[in-house]
Amino acid sequence: MELSFSAKDLEFRDEVRSFLANEYPKHVAEKVENGEPLTKDDIVDWHKSLSNKGWMGYNWPVEYGGTGWTPAQIYIFQNELGLAGCPTLIPFGVSMVGPVIYTFGNQEQKDRFLPDILNFDTWWCQGYSEPGSGSDLASLKTKAELVNEDGKDFYIVNGSKTWTTLAQNADWIFCLVRTDSSGKKQEGISFLLIDMNSPGIEVKPIITIDGDHEVNSVFFTDVKVPAENLIGEEGKGWTYAKFLLAHERFGIAGVGASKRQLERLKEISKDLGDEDLIAKVSQLEIDIMALEFTELRLLSALEGGGNPGAESSILKIKGTEIQQRLTELYVEAAGEFAIPYGGPDGYGSNVKPNGPEYTNDALSKYLNMRKVTIYGGSNEIQKNIISKFVLGV
Amino acid sequence: MNLNFSDEQNLLREQIQKFCNSDYDFYDRENFINTESGFDSEKWKLFAEQGWLAMPFKSDSGGFDFGPIELSILFEEFGKFLVLEPYLSNIVLSGFILDNSNFDKKNEYISKLISGDEQISLAYMEHNRNYDYKNLSCTLDGDDSLVLNGTKNLVLNGPNADHFLVTASHNDDMKIVIIDKNTKGLSVNNFKTVDDRRISQLNFENVSVEADHVVSSGDEAELLMKDAINYGTLCVSAEAVGSMESCYLKTVEYTKSREQFGQPISNFQVLQHKMVDMFIESELCKSLLYKSMIDVHENNDSKYRSVAALKSQVGISGKKVGEDAVQLHGGMGVSEEMSIGHYLKRFIAIDSQFGNSHFHLKKFNNS
Repeated sequence: MELSFSAKDLEFRDEVRSFLANEYPKHVAEKVENGEPLTKDDIVDWHKSLSNKGWMGYNWPVEYGGTGWTPAQIYIFQNELGLAGCPTLIPFGVSMVGPVIYTFGNQEQKDRFLPDILNFDTWWCQGYSEPGSGSDLASLKTKAELVNEDGKDFYIVNGSKTWTTLAQNADWIFCLVRTDSSGKKQEGISFLLIDMNSPGIEVKPIITIDGDHEVNSVFFTDVKVPAENLIGEEGKGWTYAKFLLAHERFGIAGVGASKRQLERLKEISKDLGDEDLIAKVSQLEIDIMALEFTELRLLSALEGGGNPGAESSILKIKGTEIQQRLTELYVEAAGEFAIPYGGPDGYGSNVKPNGPEYTNDALSKYLNMRKVTIYGGSNEIQKNIISKFVLGV
Repeated sequence: MNLNFSDEQNLLREQIQKFCNSDYDFYDRENFINTESGFDSEKWKLFAEQGWLAMPFKSDSGGFDFGPIELSILFEEFGKFLVLEPYLSNIVLSGFILDNSNFDKKNEYISKLISGDEQISLAYMEHNRNYDYKNLSCTLDGDDSLVLNGTKNLVLNGPNADHFLVTASHNDDMKIVIIDKNTKGLSVNNFKTVDDRRISQLNFENVSVEADHVVSSGDEAELLMKDAINYGTLCVSAEAVGSMESCYLKTVEYTKSREQFGQPISNFQVLQHKMVDMFIESELCKSLLYKSMIDVHENNDSKYRSVAALKSQVGISGKKVGEDAVQLHGGMGVSEEMSIGHYLKRFIAIDSQFGNSHFHLKKFNNS
C-alpha cells in the first residue's frame, strides 16, 4: 500500500496543471472567480480548449478518438479540473451518449456522432425524466411509433420530457422512449437520438428557486425521427440507460471542486474568528478526506482489475451531501449579507451590496445546489441500490 | 497510489479471522468477563504461540517487523469479535515504547512480552489533565537514586500487569521508568470499565527507582509517548472500524429474521435506509483508517493529523452505528445477553480513550 501516485502519474498531473495554467480560457476563469454566470459561448470556449488539446474524450478508449487514459489518470484529470475551479464539464455528450454510441451504436452512428462530441460541435441534452416518471424512470410514457413513409422507416414521437438541463443550448437530445406497452415496463423502452431542430419540438424554460434558467420542459408533438437514429435494438433502451448510469457514477464525488471551496471557507472562518463555524468547517474537512479516500479505494480496486459495484453509490450520496454542506456553511459565514440576492438578473440595482466578496453568490449557490441530491438517481434511490445490492435486503 | 492489501496481508487477515471465528464465541467470552483478570489466559498463550504477540517488534528484539498496516488488520478483526485480551496495553503501548527506546534491559522485558509470560502496562494518565501526557504532576526527585511520587489513573489492564511503565517529571524533563508491581510504596486500586475491561489507579509514595530502571528521558521520552499514543489511537480506531462492520452485518441479519406485521422487518424502507447509513459510516471510517495507517507506516508528517481525523470520526460514527444497531434490534438491543449492546459500550470506551472526538477535531484543526 502507498499513498502517493507513481512518478509517471505525477508527471501527468503536472501536464494537466500546465494545460490549466496556459490554455484554460482566461475570460472564463475570471468569471468563475468572480461568481459571475457563464454564457453559452463561455462554456463552449472552455470545452473547445479541451478538444484542441485532444482531451475531450478523457474517459474514452483510443479507438474512438479518446485519450485511453488509465483510471488513475482520469481521476487525476478530474481532480485537477476541480481544484482549479474549472466549470463542470457538460456530461451529456462525452460522458453519457458518447459511450452509449461507441458501445451499442452501429458504425454509421459512430462516424456521424462521435467526432462532433469530441470537438464539442454538438451540444447534447438528456431526455430521461418525464412529468410522471422521476425515480420510477421505467414508467415513462413518451411514445415512439414506427411508421413507413415512401419506403423509409420513421418513428413518430409524442410526449414530454422534463428537468432537461440546458436544452435551450442543445442541438440534439438522446431520449428514452416507449416503443412497446404490452409487456414489462422495462422491456418496451428504446434509446433514440433526436435532432432538436425537428418540427414538433418545443422547449419551455423552468425557472428554479435560485432564479436561474438551467432546466426545461421539452414537448414532442408528432416529431418525425428517422429510424436510423435508433441505438442498438428496439426494446433494449433500459439496458443502455443502466449502462450509462454506471458510467456516470465515477467522478461524481467532485472531491477536487469541494476541496477548493473548503480552502476558501477555512480562510473565511478563521478571519471571522467564529469558533463554532471553524469547528463545523473542520468536520467538513474530515468528511471530504473520508470521501476522497473512499474514491481512491474504489480507484485502487479498479486499477487492480476489480469491478467496484454498488459501493460507488456512496460517492454520489456523500459527494452531494458535502457539496450542499459547503454552500450551507458559506451562507452561515455570510451572515446578514446572505439576503441581498444577486441571482442571474443582478440585485435590481447597478451597484452591489457592500458585503464581503464571498457573500455575493452564497445564497444562489445554496439554492442551486439543492438539486444535487435529487438528480442522477436521488440519494434515496442510491440508498435503495446499496440496500439491495450490497446489504442484500 | 495503491490502497490494496498485499497477498501476505490478506493471508494474515484470513488467519486471524479463522481463529476468531472458531475460538471467539460471544457466549464463551461472557465467562471471562467475570473472572478476576477479565480475559482468557489460554487465548493469550495461543496468541503467543501463533506469533501475534511478536508482530510489531523489530527483528533485533525477536519480532516480525510488522507495522501499522498489519496491526490495523489485527485490530479490525479483533473489533469484529470484541476481543478482550490485552494486546493494546502490552504490545502496542508498552511494546512500542520499549522497542523504540535505548533502554539497556529492553530485550529482557520484550522477550517476556512476546512469550506471553509477563505483562506490562503504561501508566501515563493523571487526574484532570484532559488527555495531556506532557504536563505531569507525578515527580521524580534526586539524581542517581530517584524517588517517585504521585498518582496515575486509568491504567489499562493494570490489575494484570507485572510491571508498569510510568511517566513522571524530573527537573522539568519527562522520564519513563519501569516499576515492578510489588515495589514498596506502590498501592493499586483496580476497577472495571463500561466495556468489561480492567483498569487501575496507581499511587506512588516515595517509591525508590534505581537509575537502571529509567527507560527513556527528555525529548526522546516525549517523542516515544507521542508516537505510542498515536499508534494506540490508530489501533483502537481500527478496532472500532471492525466493530462497525459487525454491527451493520449483525443488524441486517437480525432484521431479516425478525418478523412483524407478517413479514421480515428488513422489508421496511425506513430500516433499510438506516442500515445503509450504518454501512456508509463504516466505509467512510475505513477509508480514513487506510489513509492513517499508511501515513503512520510511511512515517509522513501528516501522520498525527490524519490519525486525529480518523479518531474524531470514529468517535462520532462508532456511537451512531452502535446506537442505531441497538435501536434496530429493539428490546433485544438493550439485553445484556446479546452482543449488540456490548458493541455500543465498546464504542463509548473507544471514544473516551486517547482523546474523544471533540478533542481530536480541535487537534486536527490546529495541526
